[in-house]
Amino acid sequence: MSVKYILREGFAGMKRAKLAATTSILSLFIAVLLIGILSRIGYNIYTQAMSVKELIQVEVFLFDIDERTTSQIQQELENEELVEQITYISKDSASAVMKKEFGTGGEDLVELNFLPASFRLDVNTDAGVDRIETLASRIQNLRGVDEVEYNSALLKVLESNLSVFTLVGGGIGLLILLASVILVYNTIRLTIYAKRDLIRAMKLVGATNRFIRSPFIIEGILQGVLAGSMAILFIFLIFEFLVPTYVLDLGTLAWPFGRWYFLTGAMLSLAVLLGWWGSRWAARRFIKQTYISSSS
Amino acid sequence: MSETAVVELKNVTLSYENRTVLEDVSFKLHNGEFVYLIGPTGIGKSSFLKLLYRDVIPDRGTVRVTDYPVNKISMREIPMLRRRLGIVFQDFQLLEDRNVHDNVAFALQVTGEKPRFIKQRVLEVLTQVGLSHRRKHMPKDLSGGERQRVVIARALANEPRILLADEPSGNLDPRATKEIMELLRQINNRGMAVLMVTHDYAIVKKYPARTVRLVKGDIQELVWKGDKLIPA
Repeated sequence: MSVKYILREGFAGMKRAKLAATTSILSLFIAVLLIGILSRIGYNIYTQAMSVKELIQVEVFLFDIDERTTSQIQQELENEELVEQITYISKDSASAVMKKEFGTGGEDLVELNFLPASFRLDVNTDAGVDRIETLASRIQNLRGVDEVEYNSALLKVLESNLSVFTLVGGGIGLLILLASVILVYNTIRLTIYAKRDLIRAMKLVGATNRFIRSPFIIEGILQGVLAGSMAILFIFLIFEFLVPTYVLDLGTLAWPFGRWYFLTGAMLSLAVLLGWWGSRWAARRFIKQTYISSSS
Repeated sequence: MSETAVVELKNVTLSYENRTVLEDVSFKLHNGEFVYLIGPTGIGKSSFLKLLYRDVIPDRGTVRVTDYPVNKISMREIPMLRRRLGIVFQDFQLLEDRNVHDNVAFALQVTGEKPRFIKQRVLEVLTQVGLSHRRKHMPKDLSGGERQRVVIARALANEPRILLADEPSGNLDPRATKEIMELLRQINNRGMAVLMVTHDYAIVKKYPARTVRLVKGDIQELVWKGDKLIPA
């Protein structure tokens, strides 16, 4: 099989059927751009929600208990799987914090020394509200524990909204992907249909289906590269220039995982994958269904 | 298959588009033979050829082309079968975006030949059909007869054993028809078997050769008696 011929035909194919190739590139470009935009916005919403979630702490207020019981409680807390970090706040520390927060005039209250000692727990909020609730009730039952407090309402709201967001975002992403796959398949099929004479002539002289298919696949990959590059350019334009200039409240949204090349790399790969897969699928079907002679 | 037959159909039945085109047909084309397949338009002559290059498969019976049991070969073997055949259609099937040289070279490129060989072979076949001087021209700049000669050159490029011609002069004027028929006879004289489908009795009369007629799903051998072709 002549690789040089296949490559040359693959590149020349786009020149020969300009309109069909342009349609393919545009449909790939729109699909990949939409997925890129969705990913970048989605990632930012997700990270914001997660950082709020991480701020949620569990506070364990203690009765006036001796040091030995306090150590036992601390030991129990350290053994808990969900607890990531423990900070002990003694009665004196609590009073000092109160004095600092109340400022002048708070001294009288501080002297009452009514604030209890407590443990402040950083917990793994990813574990879910249910598990945190179970943990809280377990701690509540420990001897010497007066009260366990955490912002369960906020956690529940965040959690249910994140689930909805993930479902809706994922659903939209999947729909876009599905629509783009169908669109790409059909446009590439049109590209191939525009070259049915070439396919017939190739079959006529004894070309294998694989040989006939190869230039179309090269063309599909090339269209993917072009469409992906265009989509990346637009992502830069939209999020680095247009949004910071015209939507001041949003500013510059962060690149997913902190680096520009993760999203752009994924977009280029997706475009190439769609181009390759769409052209392969369409070419396989169409070449199989093409007969040398259409007359009876 | 008999020793000299390059095409052999045995008891072939073919239904095509809900009608029986061939029914229990047997036929042989021998090595180096020139045979006309005649019959009115729509009787199934092209379908007969389709059987040979495996665009359709018979409902019953066997089809052999050179060493290939055509109705039994796998999809992968079909291109190999077609490389043993030169196929010429009425509607030229030239690639309009390539010049004469590239249209012929294309047949060798798809079979993976080396560029040096391709260059040499293209020149050979274009010389054979008398078009080496037009090799840089685009198909649109050629006459109908010249276009058909390019198609014949392309069909010859892979040195096939059999040439199948489906109404090769169907779109041509009398002068171009004469050129094409003389070329086909010349190719046949060099030892290649030619099976030509036509409905033009004038051609059959002017360039006599073995003639078979497709009629009501059967094949009849015909002979000339005076001015008429009658069943043998």
